[in-house]
Amino acid sequence: MTTELTVLALAALLQAVQFVLMAVPANIELAPGETLSPRDRDKLGGDLVDKLSPRTARLYRALSNHFEALILFTIAVLVVTLGDQSSTLTRACAWVYLAARVLYVPAYAFGWVPWRSLIWFVGFGATFLMLLAALV
Amino acid sequence: MTEITILALYGLLVILTLILQATGGLTQLGMGYLLGSRDEGRTVSGIAGRLERALNNSVTAMVLFAPAVLLIHVTESSTNETLLAAQAFLIARIVYLPSYAFGIVGLRSLAWTVGIVATVTLYLLAL
Repeated sequence: MTTELTVLALAALLQAVQFVLMAVPANIELAPGETLSPRDRDKLGGDLVDKLSPRTARLYRALSNHFEALILFTIAVLVVTLGDQSSTLTRACAWVYLAARVLYVPAYAFGWVPWRSLIWFVGFGATFLMLLAALV
Repeated sequence: MTEITILALYGLLVILTLILQATGGLTQLGMGYLLGSRDEGRTVSGIAGRLERALNNSVTAMVLFAPAVLLIHVTESSTNETLLAAQAFLIARIVYLPSYAFGIVGLRSLAWTVGIVATVTLYLLAL
């Protein structure tokens, strides 16, 4: 297994951790009748997410953001691995991506401005570099 | 050019879409809001809103397209037809972005349809 694939597995586990971090407080804050319902806006009086506390809503947004980032990162890892383009650069990029995405969670939850955006950009740049490296 | 190369190019297209979407958000919502925790759910409108919806759609398309390419690669079932389907997907998604941003009714839906048909074709060919 290449380093990039190992990091990909760890990134997927991070997603599971992020899910739990969001789901536990969300289920404490929302009534079961709300979460189990079909979540129709007219019945709830708005979006279900709007009923969360600010911090839980941030964890929810951090989770959604990682879904997007993870999809791109998965592609970068697969393209690098299947194309036999793994190098020191792509391995370093993979670790940088993971470190950035781990830091992104507290950065969002505790409102580290503007660090959250910078951390996001580091993860994004690492993915972009991996894709470019696979094509060169 | 292999299907894997096309997947890498599509990944870059999604990144471009993301950059455009972020730029749209920046002009409408301001840097202060974007750097903040976004606790008040502000929304964008017009071209920025279209780019946001285009990004969401491109990510969904990527989730379906990437496994198809992987299947083809891992099972070594790449043929001229699978390559053509992958190319059709990429071209359709390139057309999709400006047709959504500039609101070209009909063309956007056509491009989306070509993309999804190409993806389904890849799965069928992989089987």
